[in-house]
Amino acid sequence: MGAFFIEEREFGPLVDRLRESTRVIGPVAKRQKFVFAELESADDLRLDYDVTILPPKKIFFPPKQQIVQFDATTVEDCIHPVDTVLLGVHFYDVKGIDMTDFLLRERFEDWNYLAQREATTIVASNVQSISPRAFWGSVGRDVHPKGHDAYLTKLDDGYVFETYTPKGEALLKFGTFREATAEELKIVVKVNTEAMDKCAELLPYSSADIAKKVRESFGNEELWDELAMDCFSCGSCNLVCPTCYCFDVRDSWNIDQTTGQRTRYWDACMTREFAAVTMAGGQKENFREHHSSRFRHRFMRKAAYLYEKLGGPACTGCGRCSAACTANIADPVRVINAIMGVTA
Amino acid sequence: MTAENTASQAAVHENLFLPREAKIIHTSRPTASEKHFTLQLADRSAFEFVPGQILEVGVMGFGESPIGIASSPTRPDSFDIVVRTVGRVTTAINSKEVGDSLWIRGPLGHGFDLDELRGHSVLIVAGGIGLCPTRSLIQYILDRRDEFGRFTLFYGARDPLQLLFTEDRVEWRGSRLMDYHETVDRADATWTGNVGVIPTLFHKTTDIDPDTRVVICGPPIMFKYVLVELDKLGIPRENIFVDLERRMKCGVGKCGHCQINDKYCCIDGPVFTFAKIWELEEAI
Repeated sequence: MGAFFIEEREFGPLVDRLRESTRVIGPVAKRQKFVFAELESADDLRLDYDVTILPPKKIFFPPKQQIVQFDATTVEDCIHPVDTVLLGVHFYDVKGIDMTDFLLRERFEDWNYLAQREATTIVASNVQSISPRAFWGSVGRDVHPKGHDAYLTKLDDGYVFETYTPKGEALLKFGTFREATAEELKIVVKVNTEAMDKCAELLPYSSADIAKKVRESFGNEELWDELAMDCFSCGSCNLVCPTCYCFDVRDSWNIDQTTGQRTRYWDACMTREFAAVTMAGGQKENFREHHSSRFRHRFMRKAAYLYEKLGGPACTGCGRCSAACTANIADPVRVINAIMGVTA
Repeated sequence: MTAENTASQAAVHENLFLPREAKIIHTSRPTASEKHFTLQLADRSAFEFVPGQILEVGVMGFGESPIGIASSPTRPDSFDIVVRTVGRVTTAINSKEVGDSLWIRGPLGHGFDLDELRGHSVLIVAGGIGLCPTRSLIQYILDRRDEFGRFTLFYGARDPLQLLFTEDRVEWRGSRLMDYHETVDRADATWTGNVGVIPTLFHKTTDIDPDTRVVICGPPIMFKYVLVELDKLGIPRENIFVDLERRMKCGVGKCGHCQINDKYCCIDGPVFTFAKIWELEEAI
């Protein structure tokens, strides 16, 4: 579509006019970290963030989401999307959203996710500061971010606003834009290209080679035991991941004891009972009993199983799992580089 | 904004998690822990499925459990499930009586490949509660007997008190349409039949030829021992179908609990061709 420019001093008023019209969610500071939250003022928006605690997936796939509600005789769905503009998503999180879009749509469309997704306009923005654990510069480099409606790049005196869809184009009427110049667009390419080489951590292998080697390592119990040795099975790596979408489902009653709801909650394949079934006499059959088989399962999913389906790794290189891991072992750079270093 | 249009349109899409009401029209208690329900959809619409498919069976306020359908689509007036009391949800299901409702989603998953079985002899090996989903196929074969070759059924239970479908077994024992053998791991004072684990039943018949299609459903431990016997008979692995049990929580390939390697038990299975999964780690 088009490329436009908005001056720095016009940007705040744009955000505030958007907020008057619809719900606007963007990165805001939370103590020393950042989170995606509804903006109460344009001043709250922190496009200079490095990474948020949780990925923006939570807008479409909340940690806790009612999926049906019931009373004594009827059951109803509760899909109530809210029109939303999601501002300031970094490209690696755009990739994550693109993956969950695919995974929650394939074979069986999950409208509990898709309804809010379709009601959301995504404005991505360039990375202005880089998290020390990020490795998005080297993972899945041939996977191009898509699914966002517009892209903001910060220049010295304002922003270049590129629109990709009618939803992105529809935002133009809220601000004072002019056409971007050829010179500005050159800077946009330069800024975004140069960022790719600035991550401190690096995976110096192609995704195809990684997928193959990780898959082949399945039977190397010794390696996986070693890699997973300090795992607490806490699931923190799952909970912060932009491409994790496992969930548990639980029913609850309201205080009247006749109405209630069925709710899905984020779940984590690293937790001990994730794959356990209850058998006769209350005995458990756990299909991934040992923490190393669960740790391995997570890496198989991210690097190998989903690779063909998604056309790239189910990892965006955001580094959230690396930072969240209590034992500091979940870092995909550490794990994948160790696997790649094994000589068969 | 265009987002407004999409928001209102989205509501018309079907919610994968919205269950349908099914009325209980008959129940029985075959064992101390299992309950057999006969169901009809509350709106009396036809219920179409393939033997081997599952249902998510729920009681609102308690949750859902994945349960194999225990009757054949050739008997379309109603459908059966058998539920074993093991936890909170199954306890809630098994407290329901005739006239009460269960809330179901399905049929879900990949059932038995009937086209692969038709025209061939069939052996079904069912252990314990594994007889329930295979009963759908047993009834199907008996109702369309001309479409299949020789039909053999092996059924084993822990002890005589755990044996299911008493009326069916009386009929199967006397039937000339099938060759039925049963055993218990441990006998009691009243038991006069076979004693021993299921693989011992392979010594009771010499009728199973290498072209037989085999269906296995039972506790995970049973598969390995049955496979040893099938190997001895020279039955190729692409002719063996296994009905697997996993924690199929959502039933639609999303929640992740039933993943086996890169497969989802709930949508890629629960019935798998053994040749396709025997090299998959974590499957058997």
